Amino acid sequence: MIKRVSVFLCVAILSTFLLSTQSSAQKVRGVTDTEILIGQWGPQTGPAAPWGAVARGTDLLVKIINEEGGIHGRKFKYFLRDDSYQPAKTKAIAKEFVEQIGVFAVVGGVGVACGMTARDYLMENKVPWCGPVTGVYEWITPIQKYLFAIYPLYDDEAFNLTGYLHEKLGYKKIAMFYQNDDYGKQGVMGVERYLLKKKISLVAKVSAEVTDRDLSTHALKLKNSGAEAVIMWTMPTHAALILAETAKIGFKPQWATSNTLSDSALMMQITKGLWAGMINSFFGELPDSNHPLMVKYREWHKKLAPQERWGVFYYAGIIFAEPFFEGVRRAGRNLTPETWISAMETLKNWQGIGPPISYSKPNHPMDRQGGKHVFYGKVKPDGNIQRLTDWMQITK
Amino acid sequence: MFGQLIVSGLAVGACYALLALAMVIIYKTSEVLNFAQGEMAMVSTFVAFTILDAYHVPFLWAASLTFLFAILLGIFFEIVFLRQAKDPTVLGLIIITLGFEMILMGFAGWKWGPDQRSFPFPVSNVETYDIGGLLISKINFWTIVISVVLMFILFLFFRYTKLGIAMRATQQNPLAARVMGIRTKWILSFTWAISSIVGAAAGMLIAALGVLDPPMMMDPLLKGFASGVLGGMTSLPGTAVGGAILGIIENLFGGYISLAFKSVVAFAIIVLVLCIKPSGLLAKHYVKKV
Repeated sequence: MIKRVSVFLCVAILSTFLLSTQSSAQKVRGVTDTEILIGQWGPQTGPAAPWGAVARGTDLLVKIINEEGGIHGRKFKYFLRDDSYQPAKTKAIAKEFVEQIGVFAVVGGVGVACGMTARDYLMENKVPWCGPVTGVYEWITPIQKYLFAIYPLYDDEAFNLTGYLHEKLGYKKIAMFYQNDDYGKQGVMGVERYLLKKKISLVAKVSAEVTDRDLSTHALKLKNSGAEAVIMWTMPTHAALILAETAKIGFKPQWATSNTLSDSALMMQITKGLWAGMINSFFGELPDSNHPLMVKYREWHKKLAPQERWGVFYYAGIIFAEPFFEGVRRAGRNLTPETWISAMETLKNWQGIGPPISYSKPNHPMDRQGGKHVFYGKVKPDGNIQRLTDWMQITK
Repeated sequence: MFGQLIVSGLAVGACYALLALAMVIIYKTSEVLNFAQGEMAMVSTFVAFTILDAYHVPFLWAASLTFLFAILLGIFFEIVFLRQAKDPTVLGLIIITLGFEMILMGFAGWKWGPDQRSFPFPVSNVETYDIGGLLISKINFWTIVISVVLMFILFLFFRYTKLGIAMRATQQNPLAARVMGIRTKWILSFTWAISSIVGAAAGMLIAALGVLDPPMMMDPLLKGFASGVLGGMTSLPGTAVGGAILGIIENLFGGYISLAFKSVVAFAIIVLVLCIKPSGLLAKHYVKKV
């Protein structure tokens, strides 16, 4: 009798163990029968706060998808955290996403330094990350299985923008004003790479620290360089300050800048109109575009987030999230990091309101670089954009 | 370039000096370093912006209403926060100012949002005066003039008015001042009000020179503090001199030596002054009697 009871108990315990193991294996972090949890950090306060609109733009897309019934019977729960553009806070937020909330994926995320503090942690924990809101090589080298970059590379963007200024507009004396971190330095990299190819020297290379508020000396250095055109790779505050300082000393070169400063309505407002004439690269449809998706998003914006200003920084949050949701759609009901990754790798020239997106199985860093296109525009005195080119592939 | 660097340095130095002055007024009276000074100025500047933007009143009216708000904000902080501290030490009071700073920063983010704004100032930020071949922007010129006038008014106030003398008396010996019939509690509140007004003036000038957003005072406040240490934390003329010197040194350093290290010059100066002349350039060395 004792022997029978012992055998029964052993079988019962073993079965329970095996069943529970199987059950755990089936459970995917951040995915339930009815919900998918996703997170994003972004500076809602601090010097880079205008870029924080990106994370709020993603919130709009999440709401739209939920209003439309979700994807494969699941709705999305979105967690937005303010890191104030401080990398130490970003790391803590990434840990909160994984260890406390248990998100399925991270979508977006402003800041090179901020994202870099979280990258390895997220990858070690196999958290899918779609669309860091910066265009640096660190997202694709070394190749990360779970990381899908969207933003066109700053290096290539700066290379092509310099080419546009030099070849199309004929400027020979070009200076650079940049933020002294990876974001600015990869812009410098592209500008110098192009000029080296043409055997031309950069006439001035002037940097600003994130916390700088007095840029009068920077403006004088740019003026004394005799530059005909200045490319800037900074945050909005510095862009506004340098335009004011250079205007004060009567220095009026042709300015050109990255798509990171393509919210011309905001820039016109904070520069008191000095933004007019800026040559900008763009990685998404213009705010008043008649693209069917833009029309749809604008209508939802009026209903769901009327307090937000419909500007490039805001709807960039949609651009960085669209491919993620397309991946979820293609992955089907059986959503795991692996099925999502396989689905993402089927995107070929897929386009929402941003650039065409393509991914492949990761054999080469560029296989994880989704966005490779921009177009150029010039800011008109009324703040609207005169489109100068069509979409151009900047990364070969 | 040299002349241009000096002029720009003076303009930014004038703003540092005003902020330093606001801090020194408090420090002289209570030995408290007010770390909320920058955010008090920032909130006052946002109030000015709201009045100008929403009600389209003339700038002078908006500035006057802002100064009124600044007075109330200073008095509110002194009465509601500082006066309530139990057995306050100077360190404890400083920590309270840090807490108030965070409250104001959070409030501004909630109320006005994180986006930058351009502050509507009646002087153009791009037009210039040509003085002997030296270009000085109108806004820089008027920043210097307004700062100097404000500092001169404050100097006269502390030197010649009864209230100013009462404030100095309260700073030198609170007990004796009370015995002489001075209502020292009111004097303290009034000190915070004046400091808040000076900060608000600095905030409006700094916003006009750059952009208006919640973190706009972080860097200027640190530089203002450095100016105060350089000139002497107990000397009003010292802060003016300290601000001007700091602005010029920063610009010359950035112009001729290194832009990357321009912003750390202020802190190098703090260390240097504290090592060589801790009381600052113009303040008398304070010896505590035992």
